[in-house]
Amino acid sequence: MKCSSAFRYFATASALIVVGNANADSSGKWQNSQEIYNKVCAYCHEANVGPVITGRNLMPDYIKSVVRNGNRAMPAFRESEINEAALAGVVKLVSTSTAVAKK
Amino acid sequence: MTTKRKALPKGIAAGEFDKAIKELKTILGGENVVVDESRLAPYNKIMMPVPNEQHAPSAAITPDSVEQIQSVLKVLNKYKIPVYPISTGKNLGYGSAAPVQRGQIVMDLRRMNKIISVDPDLCTALVEPGVTYQQLYDYLQEKKLPLWFSCPAPSAIAGPLGNMVDRGVGYTPYGEHFLFSCGMEVVMANSEVLRTGMGSMPNSNTWQVFKWGYGPTLDGIFTQSNYGIVTKMGMWLMPAPPDFRPFSIQYPEETDITKIVEALRPLRIAMVIPNAVVIAHALWEAPCTPVKRADYYTGPGAIPDEAVARIRKDHNIGAWNVYAALYGTKETNDANWKIIEAVAAGTGGKIVTRENSTSKALDYRFDLMKGKPNLGEFGLYNWRGGGGSIWFAPVSQAKGSETLKQMKMAKDILAKYGFDYVGEFIVGWRDMHHVIDLLYDRSDEEQTRKANACYDELLHTFAKEGYGMYRANTAFAEKVAATYGPVKRSVEKKLKKALDPNNILAPGRCGISL
Ligand SMILES: Cc1cc2nc3c(=O)[nH]c(=O)nc-3n(C[C@H](O)[C@H](O)[C@H](O)COP(=O)(O)OP(=O)(O)OC[C@H]3O[C@@H](n4cnc5c(N)ncnc54)[C@H](O)[C@@H]3O)c2cc1C
Repeated sequence: MKCSSAFRYFATASALIVVGNANADSSGKWQNSQEIYNKVCAYCHEANVGPVITGRNLMPDYIKSVVRNGNRAMPAFRESEINEAALAGVVKLVSTSTAVAKK
Repeated sequence: MTTKRKALPKGIAAGEFDKAIKELKTILGGENVVVDESRLAPYNKIMMPVPNEQHAPSAAITPDSVEQIQSVLKVLNKYKIPVYPISTGKNLGYGSAAPVQRGQIVMDLRRMNKIISVDPDLCTALVEPGVTYQQLYDYLQEKKLPLWFSCPAPSAIAGPLGNMVDRGVGYTPYGEHFLFSCGMEVVMANSEVLRTGMGSMPNSNTWQVFKWGYGPTLDGIFTQSNYGIVTKMGMWLMPAPPDFRPFSIQYPEETDITKIVEALRPLRIAMVIPNAVVIAHALWEAPCTPVKRADYYTGPGAIPDEAVARIRKDHNIGAWNVYAALYGTKETNDANWKIIEAVAAGTGGKIVTRENSTSKALDYRFDLMKGKPNLGEFGLYNWRGGGGSIWFAPVSQAKGSETLKQMKMAKDILAKYGFDYVGEFIVGWRDMHHVIDLLYDRSDEEQTRKANACYDELLHTFAKEGYGMYRANTAFAEKVAATYGPVKRSVEKKLKKALDPNNILAPGRCGISL
């Protein structure tokens, strides 16, 4: 009998995996501002849910304030999620961005 | 630096509070003890129809280890200062990251975000409170592990531990999240560290595979409660099926809910459809499609049925929209697909797949049914605008007559206050979570007042009929707890007295306090 997809379904991968801190994304540390943008902001702001925020020359203080305070339905983000240094990076990225191409 | 502060814990003088804060800073480091009001802002952003002040924290602390939590609790016991633990803190529409009572210190565990282990053979994971679903997703992708988890709609920013302790739900076959958790580590108020189930035993390697252990199974008392701080959670992962076949079935009439439920229940109980099926009303579907309310109705009060009919016609939306999926091999799914087709045809439903839809609602639902994080459901908040949301979530039997009755009751009460019925039924094994998003404009005082009164009337009218909430927001915790009767509450109080005699862990959460 040939090896069907069902076999793979039930086959297993490898032994217990224990994660070290050095690991990239899944370590829970943001790699860079772009990653934060992609994995937090973009889910709404590039999906027709929230307004587009890139390419609008939004003021850095305004962006920062909206992230920390939230705005209407937009949730607030705490320093424990995006710390001050990381937020500074996102603010720079968004405020100096050119409009993204529509996907 | 001067600190601006307004809220204090109930009954605690400013001087005492300052002393406690100083001790907390010694344990955690100054930067992990936040008292400045501007920096506390994200802990006070709520969507509930009550004033922010009612849920303003006095401080926020961000420990990064179990040992730190243990030391913190010693200080809080000494000063009798209450603390409100959160994990990823995105309990949006249920209280967000704000404490249940004004003045409590928020203990934010988001920095404790290690994925401690994943066992690809047994398909289990052990995670800390700060792990987000996105992080777990990235982990599984990076390691190329063919494992899926179930997540709630705000998956990208929320996390498995916080969701599970509030007994949240998702949309894969593992959608009832508490059911698929296995083993917890809990720091008790007296700083003891309890591992539930098999985890209590030294050197046990079965903590994540056998839930019950020996003697009473304690896990349940750490969900929707305030008996301990959960610092680790085991969860079961699902092997990615070789064939995943998501679909939607649209129905033309609101009253069709009766036959939908009758037709789907046997399939769900027998696990032909193994996942938490959603039956979404047109007005849940519309904002996520997206459709603008103002394009169809700008008058006062709830949107009329006639406008909803126009929306449905223009955008190919059902009065009810069923979302479910088949998970298996091509062979088993081919066989079960015939059953789905027959059921749809027999009940007058139209099957919709990705190939014949352009709706964004369909996209995010299909992703959620395989545990792929997104935030598509936030489209709901463009419906009324203004960021007001409170979930009204009664439990229903999975019987058609019951669902229709609940829907009508809710729709009438909502309309009385000028709100739309934005509801869905999430099908458990034999129950349904009837979830209604009471959407209102929180910048409008009148609407906010009405939303509060409306929730109150919904709650009490449903309770009179014997319908209870599966979960509730922090502002109504006391009232919801009261609907469950006095004996349960008295037992809960006795437990509280025994486990947390100084009442320092989230007093008031789910109505439990001394
Ligand atoms: C558009 C939208 C859609 C939603 N859809 C869903 C959905 O499909 N399913 C669903 O379940 N929810 C849904 N929600 C509600 C909510 O956002 C999610 O349930 C979310 O997962 C909860 O937030 P969290 O995971 O960050 O948990 P947290 O906010 O961290 O925790 C929730 C609560 O549990 C308690 N708690 C947290 N951590 C601990 C701990 N370590 N020890 C003791 N107690 C603790 C606290 O009381 C806390 O307030 C939705 C919300 C929105 C806005």
